[in-house]
Amino acid sequence: MWGFGEIGERLRRSTVRVSVDEGGRRADQRSSGSGIVWTSDGLILTNAHVARGPKTEIEIWDGRRFPARVVTRDPRRDLASLRISAIGLEAVTPGDSAALHPGELVIAVGNPLGFAGALSTGIVHSSSQRWIQADVQLAPGNSGGPLANVHGQVIGINTAIVNGLGVAVPSKVAVDFLERGARPSLGVQLRPVHLGLLLLSVEPASPAANANLRAGDVLLTRFETLNEALDSGRPTLRVHFLRDDRTRVREAVVCLAAEAEAAA
Amino acid sequence: MANELAALSNEIAAAVELAGRNVVAVHARPRFSSSGVFWRPGAIVTAEHTVRREEEITVTLPDGATVPATLAGTDPGTDLAVLKIDITTHAPGRSTTAPAPGTLALTIGRSEDSGVNATLGIISARSGEWRTWRGGRLDHYIRLDLTLYPGSDGGAVVNTNGETIGIATSALSRIAGLAIPSLTVDRVVDEILARGRVTRGYLGVGLQPVELPDHLKGLIVLSVEPAGPAASAGILIGDILVKLGGKPVQDTDDIQLVLERHVVGGKVEVEVLCGGKPRRIDVVVGERPRRS
Repeated sequence: MWGFGEIGERLRRSTVRVSVDEGGRRADQRSSGSGIVWTSDGLILTNAHVARGPKTEIEIWDGRRFPARVVTRDPRRDLASLRISAIGLEAVTPGDSAALHPGELVIAVGNPLGFAGALSTGIVHSSSQRWIQADVQLAPGNSGGPLANVHGQVIGINTAIVNGLGVAVPSKVAVDFLERGARPSLGVQLRPVHLGLLLLSVEPASPAANANLRAGDVLLTRFETLNEALDSGRPTLRVHFLRDDRTRVREAVVCLAAEAEAAA
Repeated sequence: MANELAALSNEIAAAVELAGRNVVAVHARPRFSSSGVFWRPGAIVTAEHTVRREEEITVTLPDGATVPATLAGTDPGTDLAVLKIDITTHAPGRSTTAPAPGTLALTIGRSEDSGVNATLGIISARSGEWRTWRGGRLDHYIRLDLTLYPGSDGGAVVNTNGETIGIATSALSRIAGLAIPSLTVDRVVDEILARGRVTRGYLGVGLQPVELPDHLKGLIVLSVEPAGPAASAGILIGDILVKLGGKPVQDTDDIQLVLERHVVGGKVEVEVLCGGKPRRIDVVVGERPRRS
């Protein structure tokens, strides 16, 4: 139906700027990213790492600004849904990310480095169920913005840049997130180490914090195993970990259901 | 307009699918895998600089299976290495000659996790024969204007029909990725499969360019390898080499280019100025000792 120009213009009208006040006094402590108008009545999709502050503001393509409420955050899939009080917005059409082939032309819109509505094009580098990697020039600020196919359908949410490649969460994952909500998470930042997974930080009042896990602890498990356990639907998770002396294996029971209630 | 865009998108995806059938992931270095291409039945070509070990090499095939491979030989000069596997069912793809600048080009790679992968760009420059800084000869210099990611090295550079232009490498130029032309790959692969290595001609002399009267140039012999090809033919220190194989020679690159065209063990005619007098001597081309 259209060329890159028309697709870009339509996507631009469905792409918002997400500004977050992280509580700092200076203006430069406001961080911003991109977001996608998912429904015309004000449902906005973005990355969890974009919508991380208490006060979030959405600016739509025509310059109007709205305060936004974070509905759900899923840090593990790096997705968040926001709600603004607006109607008649121009929503995107989701595409089928599962049908994507390497080599297909794609187009990304966002606010990289503060440039509103910047467009970049490229091709799908590789595609799996968890990630789409795209040979597209992205920059910080593209996060949370749309990655679309040649029909203008959104097939991914731009999330990260790894070795120069754009990494996007597939639209199928986003639809699952919007329909079924966040998957349980520990509320920690992890890094794989020789013995298991090192906790880099623990969010206050998170399931991990409630189970007395601390930064520096090493969970004796693998990333895939932990993911499977979190997605299994069980309300509690038993973890073995090492602390300080590294000789005694400790055990903790993490209550996952509690967080789901708190978030609801 | 968009039908054209959709058609182009489908064409590129189809080229990736077609070319990807011959592309494997190569596990021969720490951290990142690289890519390789079926070039002859059971023989895979990859970029030599990504092969960091001689044993315990494996490749991940298009069907997802990971199988052991043996290193058949390498040619650091052209940055090519040949691996052999027991499976011979994968037929090599069609290849094409060096395309014109501006032609759309794709690099096709593979990784174990994400399967086939692709990047898009254009051929930014093409010229004739080119000698790499590693000493090898490429039949064409084909510069790529596309992003080579760590795992793309050794993968196939193809056009939008899925025809192979060459092998992708980031190790032969500081400013851009290059395609090692299919013609060069054919030549090097066949020589490695036949002999396990690529032999390079050798005279066994150290040379320095010098100016001669009447604006002529030549190469003065500064050293002679004892019992080497030149010494055996009677070439002396102080002789000035002016022609090799009937071609005037002005610097050492000219010597390499002429030697490329002579088989090891064959004769090449050398014209030298010995005490100011021209002399013609036949030298039996030797084999350049391998760097260790």
